[in-house]
Amino acid sequence: MTEMSHIDRVMAALTNEPGDRLPVYPIACGVNRRFVNGGISYRDWAHDPKLYAQAFIEGQKVFDYDFAIGLMDLSVMAGDLGAHVRMDEQNTPFVDQHIVNSVEDYEKFEVPDITKGRSAVLLEGTKLYCDALKNQVITSGFIEGPLLALSQSAGAERLFMDMFTNPSAVHRALKVMTDYDIEMVKGFAKTGCAGLCWDYLWGNYSCLGDAEYEEFEGCKKYAIGLNELTIKEGMAVAIHNCADLPHLDTQIKKFAPAIYSMAYYPLIPGSPSASSVIEGGYTDKTLVGGQVDPQLFIRAPAEKVTQVVKDLCQEVKTALCKRGLNSPKYCIASGCEVPPDTHTKTENIKAFVDAGKQYGKMNA
Amino acid sequence: MKVSQIAGFLGSGKTTAVMKIVDELMKRGHKVAIVVNDVGEINVDAKFIESHGLKAKEIAGGCICCQIAGTFSETLAKLHDSYNPEIVIVEPSGVAIPWGLKRAAEYSEAKADMVIEHAPVITLVDAMRIDLLMKAVKRLVETQIREADVCFVNKVDTASPAAIAKTEGLIKEMNPRVEIAHMSSETGQGIDYACDLIVNRISPRYDEAVEEELLKKQYKG
Repeated sequence: MTEMSHIDRVMAALTNEPGDRLPVYPIACGVNRRFVNGGISYRDWAHDPKLYAQAFIEGQKVFDYDFAIGLMDLSVMAGDLGAHVRMDEQNTPFVDQHIVNSVEDYEKFEVPDITKGRSAVLLEGTKLYCDALKNQVITSGFIEGPLLALSQSAGAERLFMDMFTNPSAVHRALKVMTDYDIEMVKGFAKTGCAGLCWDYLWGNYSCLGDAEYEEFEGCKKYAIGLNELTIKEGMAVAIHNCADLPHLDTQIKKFAPAIYSMAYYPLIPGSPSASSVIEGGYTDKTLVGGQVDPQLFIRAPAEKVTQVVKDLCQEVKTALCKRGLNSPKYCIASGCEVPPDTHTKTENIKAFVDAGKQYGKMNA
Repeated sequence: MKVSQIAGFLGSGKTTAVMKIVDELMKRGHKVAIVVNDVGEINVDAKFIESHGLKAKEIAGGCICCQIAGTFSETLAKLHDSYNPEIVIVEPSGVAIPWGLKRAAEYSEAKADMVIEHAPVITLVDAMRIDLLMKAVKRLVETQIREADVCFVNKVDTASPAAIAKTEGLIKEMNPRVEIAHMSSETGQGIDYACDLIVNRISPRYDEAVEEELLKKQYKG
C-alpha cells in the first residue's frame, strides 16, 4: 500500500478501513517546549497561548507525529478553581495547596470564568495549534474529567474517603466540575480541534470498583453526558487513562470513544497488555493507543526504544491479524505523556517515531 | 543512600509516626531527610522540621509513570548532592504506589553518584478505623498492604483487642508474607522497632530484571 497522509491513516483506523501502517504518537506535549526559541520554561509555556501552540507546531516539524494532542498539565482546572499551583521553571506544575479542608468546602466551588486564567490559555493555545496543524494531522484538545478536577482540588485521599462518608457533598462538587467541563467543551468546540481527549484517570480498579466508578464518574450525569456533549459539539471523543488496572469495559465498551490511550504495567497482575486488549475486542470499534513505558524516553538508549517499539508493533499486528482486523486499529504510543523533564532524550522520541513508521507497516 | 517509605491512608497516624521515627533516628546519630507529597501535612510540622535542622522536600503531584518519577528522582539526587543524608524517609500519599516510588528512587542513581538501598516498605494501618477503611477505600488500602514488607497496626493504645485482631487478620489475608507489628504513634510504642527495621533491614530493589523477563516472554524472546 502506498504511503498515506497522517490524516488518512488515522481516519482509516477510525473507520475500520485498511491503512498503510499503525499510527504513531508518543504523547509528546510539554517536551516540545524545548524546540521553542531554543527552549523555554514550563512556566512560560503553560501561561502563554502562543508559546503553548508553537511547541506543538515545532514538535510536529521535528518528529512528524500522526496526531497533535494538547495536554498542558493536570492542574489547569484546579488552579482556576482556586487551588494553589506550584510553578517550577522546568517541572510539570502541580497543586501544592488543596482547597477542601472540611466537608463544607465542597459546597464552595463555583465555575470559574473560562475566558481568564489558564483555562483561557489552554483554549486559545489549542485554537492556535489546531489552526496551524489541522491540515496535517488529527488535532485534539485535552481536558480533565470532573472526578480528576475535583481530586486535584480536594486531594485524592480526602476525596476518596469523602466519597464514602459524605457522598452528597462530593456529588454537589462534581456537579460544579461537570458544569465547568461543559463550559470547557463548548470552548474547545470553537478551537477547531477534531477531537477532545478526556482524562478519566480514576477509572482504575486499584482505586475504585465498578459500582463506585459508576456512581462518581461513569454515569450519564457525569462522563456519559460529557461524552455525548463532546460529540454534539462536533468533536470525536478520546479518553486517556494511564492507570494500572483500567476500567476497560466501562471506558471502551460503554463510553465507546473513538480513541483510547492506555498504559501497561508488566509487574502488576492483571494489567492489560496490548495483545490482551486486542484479543478482548476492545479495538474492534475503538482506536487504542499505548503502551510504551514513558520512562524509556529518559533512561534507555535509542536502540532500546527502537527494539521496544519493534516488539510492540509485532505484538499488535499479530493480535490484530488473529482478531481478523486488517485496519491499523492500534496506535503505537507511550502509555502516558513523554516526560516533560529536561532529561528526556529527544533522540529517543525520534527513534520511537522512526521505529513505529518502519515496523508498523501493515504488510510487513 | 537508604530510602524508607512509610505509607498509610489519610488519618492512619502516618505524619505523627514519621516525625517520631525521624526524631529517634536523629537521636541515634543518623543523618535524615524527609520527602513528603502532601505539603499541607508538612506545613503543620514546619516548626519540628526547622527545630531539628531537617531537610524536607516534596514529591510533585502528577502521574507516577511520567511526572513523579522524574521529579522524585531529581529530588533524591539533589538531596544527595546538597545534604548527603544516610536515610531519606518518604511519606507518600495514600494513593501512591510503593513499587512506583521504589523504581523512581532508583532512577536517581543516574543523576548523582550514589547507590539507592530500600528500607522495608512500612504501611501503617489504623486499627480504630479498619471497618471504615475497608468500606471506603478498600482497593487503595489493599494496594498499600500488598506492597508492604512490614505492616504496623497503629493506634493499638486505643483500639480494642478485637479490632486489633481483626486488623491483623485482614492484613494477613491481603498479604500472607508480610510481617505484622504494633504501633502507637501517640505513645511511641513501636517507634524503636520501626527505626531498627529502617536501619538494619533491606527491601529488594524494584525488579527490572523480572520486568524484562516478563516482556521477553510476551514478545517471545
